[in-house]
Amino acid sequence: MKSQSLISSFNPANDPNTLDSYERAEIDASTRVPVLLFFGSAIFWLLIGSLLGLVAAWKMTHPALLDGMAWTTFGRIRPAHLNTVIYGWASAAGIGVGIWLMARLCRVALVHSKLLIAAAIFWNLGVLVGVLGILAGDSRSIEWLEIPGYATPILFVAYAFIGIWTIIMFRFRKPGHVYVSQWYLFAAFLWFPWLYATANILLVWSPIQGSAQGAVNWWFAHNILGLWFTPLGLASAYYMIPKVIGRPIHSYYLSILGFWSLALFYSWNGMHHLIGGPFPAWMVSASVVASIMMFIPVITVAINHHMTMRGNFGALKWSPTLRFTVFGAMTYTIVSFQGSSMAIPSWNTFIHFTDHTIGHAHLGLYGFFTMIMFGAIYYIVPRLVGWEWPSATMIRWHFWLSAIGIGIMVGALTLGGILQGFAFYDPAATFRTSLEYATPFRIIRGLSGFLLLGAHVVFAILFTQMLLRIGRPQEGPALFATPTEPEKEVAAV
Amino acid sequence: MNKLPLIFLGVFITFASSWIGLVAYPFLTLGKMEPLPDEDTGGYFPPAMSGLAVAGQRVYAANGCVYCHSQQVRLAPLSTDIKKGLGPRQTVARDYLRAQPAFLGTMRTGPDLSNIGARQPDVNWHHQHLYEPQTITSWSVMPPFRHLYKMQPIEGQASDNAVKGLKGSYAPPSGYEVVPTDDAKALVAYLISLKRNFPLPESPEPALE
Amino acid sequence: MSNSTPPPEEQFNESQTADEMNVAKVHGSILREQADPVDGYEPVPLWLITVFFCIIFWAGFYLALNSGGFQSNVYNPKLVSWSGGGAAKDTGPPDPMVVGKRVYTQNCLICHQTTGLGVAGQFPPLVGSEWVLGNDWHGDNHLVKILLHGLQGAIQVKGNTYNNAMPRWKQLKDEQISAVLTYIRAEWGNAAPPITAEFIKQLRTETDARSEPWTQNELKAIPAVKIPPGGALPAAAAPAAAPAA
Repeated sequence: MKSQSLISSFNPANDPNTLDSYERAEIDASTRVPVLLFFGSAIFWLLIGSLLGLVAAWKMTHPALLDGMAWTTFGRIRPAHLNTVIYGWASAAGIGVGIWLMARLCRVALVHSKLLIAAAIFWNLGVLVGVLGILAGDSRSIEWLEIPGYATPILFVAYAFIGIWTIIMFRFRKPGHVYVSQWYLFAAFLWFPWLYATANILLVWSPIQGSAQGAVNWWFAHNILGLWFTPLGLASAYYMIPKVIGRPIHSYYLSILGFWSLALFYSWNGMHHLIGGPFPAWMVSASVVASIMMFIPVITVAINHHMTMRGNFGALKWSPTLRFTVFGAMTYTIVSFQGSSMAIPSWNTFIHFTDHTIGHAHLGLYGFFTMIMFGAIYYIVPRLVGWEWPSATMIRWHFWLSAIGIGIMVGALTLGGILQGFAFYDPAATFRTSLEYATPFRIIRGLSGFLLLGAHVVFAILFTQMLLRIGRPQEGPALFATPTEPEKEVAAV
Repeated sequence: MNKLPLIFLGVFITFASSWIGLVAYPFLTLGKMEPLPDEDTGGYFPPAMSGLAVAGQRVYAANGCVYCHSQQVRLAPLSTDIKKGLGPRQTVARDYLRAQPAFLGTMRTGPDLSNIGARQPDVNWHHQHLYEPQTITSWSVMPPFRHLYKMQPIEGQASDNAVKGLKGSYAPPSGYEVVPTDDAKALVAYLISLKRNFPLPESPEPALE
Repeated sequence: MSNSTPPPEEQFNESQTADEMNVAKVHGSILREQADPVDGYEPVPLWLITVFFCIIFWAGFYLALNSGGFQSNVYNPKLVSWSGGGAAKDTGPPDPMVVGKRVYTQNCLICHQTTGLGVAGQFPPLVGSEWVLGNDWHGDNHLVKILLHGLQGAIQVKGNTYNNAMPRWKQLKDEQISAVLTYIRAEWGNAAPPITAEFIKQLRTETDARSEPWTQNELKAIPAVKIPPGGALPAAAAPAAAPAA
């Protein structure tokens, strides 16, 4: 057959089943509009969010910056930053990657894609109204739930469409093996509405008594990380790593162990934000224990990913997708270990209320989740638009600006936070001491924000070129380096 | 794990366990707490908040004070919060009975405010401080909340509620005065209401060394 | 209807080659990629299972020892059972040093610090301060008046000038002011006699009408009253001194 030889000649090292390729092409084409809508809007919010974050960072050392206006006050810019990056960027990117993975892994073309297009429109409307509401002064200052009560229903409608679609996709899936990424996706898409609805009902729409709010607040805020972003990120890593290097995932049994221990332990973690705080001792201790138990899923996943990668680390030299994904997966291990250690009560009371926690949050959401999303987007977009990334050099810039930027940011905040902790712990130290310790590190953090913003601008330019199919046409994939002869076997990005 | 109902059930049960423990349980126990009657005065612990203070919570939330100021005194001797004078005892659930929402906070970029009303009961001080914090504490990194104040020409006699003793770069020129808006008044009423220095049996004051 | 257009199948056939070329270009990324990932079936290493059982074992112990008896009103994890209920009212009069330290912690510490040394250039020290101990022109009545109404403007303490505002503490009870003053006059190596609640009561009544904070010059104009080292101030002495002020 002619098409067979054509494909073979295109990449002689790889001789895929043509039927598979056609099937994939059909599936990818069906996901094009909703996935690109989610990606495009996510990248828009990423830019806005980075800018807001940068302003907030500099306001911490220069309180007179942009002062005198209600909407530019720190207490509004900061939640606006958080909500744009959480809901505008991270969630939307995660949903986009999730949709594509779901279609691929269910092995069916997207059904009811109009549902998803509507979801994307509603989601962005919700984020827009929500963030403007925060800037206008309608935030309730409940961390991670600042979006005012009138905007959350819009987000919820958007989400309902996605949830319904997920169930339909599962119903229509081709019979056969359910891959580990699908477990995570399925769980995330089920957990999110439960979490979001519970927290919004109990804290925003019909608030419960103040004495119980902290528990619900941190149950939500930690679980949105642990049971929404983490499963989305892991689903992507579990797909991209074996996909790019063309090897099976190391162990099915480790996958099972990792998944169920995550589901059981992560959901109990939230109260470690309130150690020594106004909640019964057993609740806090249960969260401390659950946080330490997080070593089980984290070590399991780390071994599973590492053993899959073993012997193929050379591929990090040339594959952008793999480099971003492995960076994220390794950071996942680091950030989770750090998180478990931060739940140890004596250490927690020392570094709680300091910049240390902020560093940890950025390491998790950026170093782990965002980097994995970048990797996935680099993989998915060429398949949707039929155009190759126009410049490997720009991707390289994006990677290093992001990696160095987040490294400096987290390093500065972590160290500054520990020094601050000394000042908070020492009964003789004044409050001024804690500020003096933190300030130089906050300035370094502010500088690192420029690197991250730069990285995102580069990424946005690349993505726009892809959407418009402009830029230098590439013959093959955009790679950091030419794979060596044996590696060509797996040059499948 | 190819059976969807099995995955669904497991995902449901694991999550439900934490939902029961960390949401339903506090909702049913801590969320249904009553204030304690105070035998000496006939009042209640925590004391009722004035209407203005209740409104002040809205201003506190809108301007995101919670992102730099915590409102919790942690357990001793695990933490040194009590030694550092943040309050006489650990704050417990009942302390937040009337808070809406409970601004527990996660950062101390600025000092803890659990007991700011006891530490600094002066209304004018709070107005001066909110208007331009650096005139009170030169090294403060708190942003000025000038948008909660109005500068206006003095007509006849100076207004009763004009902020006194303003200095610094934003002090009103002669013939002008700075008056707090309703938001600022509510915010300061709320700040002054923040006192957790009454006794609660479930939170004994730690023995002083 | 029109014979000039070829049937659809023919159209397809004609452009097939071009389509394929185009497919290869547009879907190059899809064509070259690997098959979708599958699972390997390596066993879970034994050491890992051992480590996990150790963690679970530890967790059980930790939770049992730090549960606070799983009660909703126990906030200290080390407390296994809670015996609350407002009982155990202490016997005898409260020790002013204990009450005073508590009042100090709640109200004064944020400025004057745990050490009583204040903050250089911001808040004056209490340790060895002539204002606290009643040395030079300072009297114990001045100290009480500052507590009752506050102090404003430039002041000199131990040779340094401070320019800040001290809030008034009128809202505290006489016993509380007495306790905290007694405390600061006897802590950190300070050694001055206690100040009684009656003394505060007297001054509170005398100065009831005042609403402004004091300034250093105003206070200086008021003659000093000192509590003798022996203890209680003679009840008649204060009213006699006050009208003269």
